[in-house]
Amino acid sequence: MSSTPRAQADSRLLARIWPYARADAALFGFGMLLTPLTLALGLAQPWLLKRAIDQHIMSGELEGLQLVAGGYLACIVLGYVVEAAYGVAMGIAGQRTVYRLREHIFRHLLGLSARFYDKRPAGELLTRATSDVESLGESLSSGVVTLVVDVMMVVGVLIAMFILEWRMTLLLLCLAPPLGLVIEICRRKLRVCFNLIRETLAKVNAYLAEQVSGMEIVQLFNDERRSVQGFIDRNTPYKDASVRSNVYDALMYAAVDGVGSICIGLMLWYASIDSLELAVSAGLVAAFIDYLNRLFRPLRQLSSKITIVQRALAALEKIFGLLDHQEHIGEGQGELPEASGHLVIRGLDFGYKAGEDVLHGIDLEIAPGEVVALVGPSGCGKTTLTRLLDRRYDGYRGSITLDGQELSGLPLETVRKNVAAVSQDIQLFPETVRFNVDLDNAAISEDRLLEAAQLANAKSFVEALPGSWSALLRDRGSNLSVGQGQLLTFARTLAYDSRVVILDEATASVDPVTEHLVQDAIARILERKTVLVVAHRLSTITAADRIVVLSRGRVVEQGTHAELLELGGAYAELHEAGFDDGVELGA
Amino acid sequence: MRRYAAPFWAWYLGGMLFLALTNWLAVRIPVHMAVGIDALESDLSLVRDQVWIIAAMGLGMILVRTASRVLFFTPGRLVEFRLKNDIFRQLTRLQPRFFSTHEGGDIVSRAANDVTYLRAMVGFGGLQICNVVLALLFTGGEMFRLSPRLTGIVVIPVVVGLLVVQIAIFKMHALVRTSQRQLGELSDNVLSSLQGMQTIQGFTAEESFVARFSARSAAFRDTNISLAWIQATAMPLLLLAGSISIYLLLAAGGPMAVRGEVSVGELVAFVAFISYLLWPLFSLGWLVSVVQRGLNSLERIDEVLYAQPERPEGERGVELPAGAPDIALRELSFRYPGAEEDSLSELSLEIPAGTMLGIYGRTGSGKTTLLRVLQRSWNPPVGAVRVGDHDLLELDLSAWRSKLAIAPQVAFLFSSSIRENIAMGLELDKVPQSAERAALGPDLEALPSGLDTVVGERGIMLSGGQRQRTALARALHRDADILLLDDVLSAVDQKTERELIDTLDQLASSGREGRGRPTTVLVSHRMSVLARTDRVVVLAEGRVIDQGTHAELIERPGPYREAWLGEQEGAA
Repeated sequence: MSSTPRAQADSRLLARIWPYARADAALFGFGMLLTPLTLALGLAQPWLLKRAIDQHIMSGELEGLQLVAGGYLACIVLGYVVEAAYGVAMGIAGQRTVYRLREHIFRHLLGLSARFYDKRPAGELLTRATSDVESLGESLSSGVVTLVVDVMMVVGVLIAMFILEWRMTLLLLCLAPPLGLVIEICRRKLRVCFNLIRETLAKVNAYLAEQVSGMEIVQLFNDERRSVQGFIDRNTPYKDASVRSNVYDALMYAAVDGVGSICIGLMLWYASIDSLELAVSAGLVAAFIDYLNRLFRPLRQLSSKITIVQRALAALEKIFGLLDHQEHIGEGQGELPEASGHLVIRGLDFGYKAGEDVLHGIDLEIAPGEVVALVGPSGCGKTTLTRLLDRRYDGYRGSITLDGQELSGLPLETVRKNVAAVSQDIQLFPETVRFNVDLDNAAISEDRLLEAAQLANAKSFVEALPGSWSALLRDRGSNLSVGQGQLLTFARTLAYDSRVVILDEATASVDPVTEHLVQDAIARILERKTVLVVAHRLSTITAADRIVVLSRGRVVEQGTHAELLELGGAYAELHEAGFDDGVELGA
Repeated sequence: MRRYAAPFWAWYLGGMLFLALTNWLAVRIPVHMAVGIDALESDLSLVRDQVWIIAAMGLGMILVRTASRVLFFTPGRLVEFRLKNDIFRQLTRLQPRFFSTHEGGDIVSRAANDVTYLRAMVGFGGLQICNVVLALLFTGGEMFRLSPRLTGIVVIPVVVGLLVVQIAIFKMHALVRTSQRQLGELSDNVLSSLQGMQTIQGFTAEESFVARFSARSAAFRDTNISLAWIQATAMPLLLLAGSISIYLLLAAGGPMAVRGEVSVGELVAFVAFISYLLWPLFSLGWLVSVVQRGLNSLERIDEVLYAQPERPEGERGVELPAGAPDIALRELSFRYPGAEEDSLSELSLEIPAGTMLGIYGRTGSGKTTLLRVLQRSWNPPVGAVRVGDHDLLELDLSAWRSKLAIAPQVAFLFSSSIRENIAMGLELDKVPQSAERAALGPDLEALPSGLDTVVGERGIMLSGGQRQRTALARALHRDADILLLDDVLSAVDQKTERELIDTLDQLASSGREGRGRPTTVLVSHRMSVLARTDRVVVLAEGRVIDQGTHAELIERPGPYREAWLGEQEGAA
């Protein structure tokens, strides 16, 4: 917050929260209105204390005392009510703001293209949507809002003290520079320490988590000693930093305390030289002690609150950095009322990076209802081609049309309603089995769901699960076998009403009986839809109407199984080596 | 726990001493102030004396308080350090039996969060308990000495406030726990959505995922709003109580001062005492929960520290001579804890030294369990497994494992380089050969830094097949007497598969100096792999239902022949 450009950037960040906070502007405003009231009530209390002591207790005038004391009581009770109301208003408004921001981030994430996800690990994005928003929420409810009040309180207390006895206040302020220096030094050292603690602790925990999940391997390879040493090596800098932080933390805390006591001494000294004029009374000392308390309390918390605010600003910067990413897929306005599933690819070039094409001049036509198998060695571009057809990647050159309409000219939703892609890795969600199949799509009726499950050979095992369709899947479906997970994704595809299916066959090895069920389910998909399948199974390849062989991003052969074997080219070679190559290099 | 804190007794003793000094100073300062105030109108030199005393005491307080906090908190940090190291060391000694009953995240949380809570208890908690006791003793005592009646009056609101705040803190803790759980659920929801992004977008299910996310996010928000209510209304109550005490000081103490029962200076000292006592009392509220959480954490940590590592062989077990031993399983039955059925039941099998044994069976037939028992991840019952002339359980665990080279079904890679993943602590210079033998060569060429490519968390940078072959290279890198390979050839094409089996063959037939041929146990579904072994064992429901050479087995009716016929049909 030291330099101006920094401060400008910070205020720009804060301004960007406004759209999320706007709906609760009334609550925020209400809270803000209460602030001067809090201040006035807080500042009045020591003044009433002084008045009670000096004008009534010292002079023995008891009559007015109860009135002043009653005023004091009214101030503190009202002060409490106002402070509580302020806290509640800000808390509610802050949480609602954060809620809206969180939802916006999630929506934003759902709209980003695969190109965006290629570059970012899920863990990092998770931090944006949860931890970063959380630290913003934390600071909204604890840090930022009270920071304003704190600063105002410090200023207000100083003004009140000046009005009561300005010379004594000036004298006390002489202690401010040395105290400020100590606090500033400690704060700087602490900031270094805290950063170090955070970094080193993150390393300790990451190592711990990884070693625990790989512990069996560590043990099987007799590698325990090295593993323990690795832990100690990471734990030691953490310990050193945290021990060091203790010293500065303690000093800072004690300095504020001690200076408070020295202030009392100073006041007495001032009273002793000034006592002839009797400007310093017992009531004044009591009032000053009270004011000093009100001054030191926010000062003591100031550094930790500034840290919270700084963390929130850092979080905001990252959050808006994410929201500024606009790697959405370009969409058009075209209309496609009822697709038959006629796909035509002409002169298609594509590369993930400019100047590094992985597909070169692909020409391919798939008639409605046709099944085309795509085969080729690892890295030949099979998977890339499928990713263009459901528009996960933008920026192809050439033309891809569905029923005569260019894909890039259609709304994304239209393309994806008509082209469903089943990826190689089995994507399941920790929700109910039913949700995993229908994805809460209102258009999928109970009958359609059951029929799809039946066709996908999933119905019988689902109904045998405890809880049947309401059974909860664990993380990534780990309570299902690999084969069962695959069958569920097939059911999902069959329930979804798309004409075209792009199927990237999974290669995970399953036992022969499940393998038979999987092949059977694939055969049913092939019967019902227009399919382009990246095939690894011979059974799938031979079931296709046509086989297209890719090599180095080009179509090199096309035909039926028998024709291509006859030809004795690339396909025959692949057949010789066996098709079961699950290894797809790179993206 | 005492074991960890005891070495620091001198620190704590010093801390106590300084803390007592701090509290003594904190009481003396207002007392001297009261003397000073009351002397203002009579004896100015007495006032000046008080000034010097107070100033000196204030400075002294800075040093003494710093020292007490450093002395109290530093042992906590050092205990944290040692405790974490010991927990980690203990984790390396515990077997899968322990890990199977504790989620990985839970164990990490014990070693990370629980130790921190424990540290908070011994450091912060210890300091606060002493502080509160000393403050009550000194300050309360001094207040009582000055005026028992006034003390009685002003203490009432503080005690009431404390009780109310205490209740609020308990409620808050419940809410904080709920909010943490909800945040966890929210994170899981985001993570699973990110991982399934392709499906969500591909099936245009964005809206239903937003709905699910929002429901959880709203529940989380509502919990936090409840928390804000408590924080805003209950937390300032203690300050309110302190202020009410000062009000009582005026309303009740004022007349007392007028009547001469207390001096005005003492009244002002009471203001200082109340504001000094407020914070230790306030922290008392937190203390109860810090201690509660700390004790709970201690229990969770003890569960790890005192878990018994399974070492049936005792401190030092039998070490076998060099070379592969004969292995014999006699009616081996094994059941996982909590399982309803045996995973292996009365399984008998001979594995003579130097053979290459294939194991075939459906998912759940016990293949992997068999390997895990042989590698003693899970200990078999006594007498069920003989190795050479000994029971498997008599063998020294690390000596036995140094004879093994294992490639598990699911390859686990650490987030270091491929080179380090293969070496696993052994010499690095032969890593390229091992990688070559595991058919990683072409893959390494395509990777940005070859063997030095850092593979990311759990090897995320590599494809499934590459991970599998890296794990295989790791096994081949060890010059082992027994190779246990669990379905490691499932994700390679047939050409690579042939190369790999050739390598294994070569390894098996290579007579090594004085150690004979290694034994290989190979789990696979693939007929082409099993055909190359010396003998195939067919497992079903944890039993051996057939065994023989591949050629024999495809002649006999049974699941093996059926699978073979199925494969022939598919290929035709």
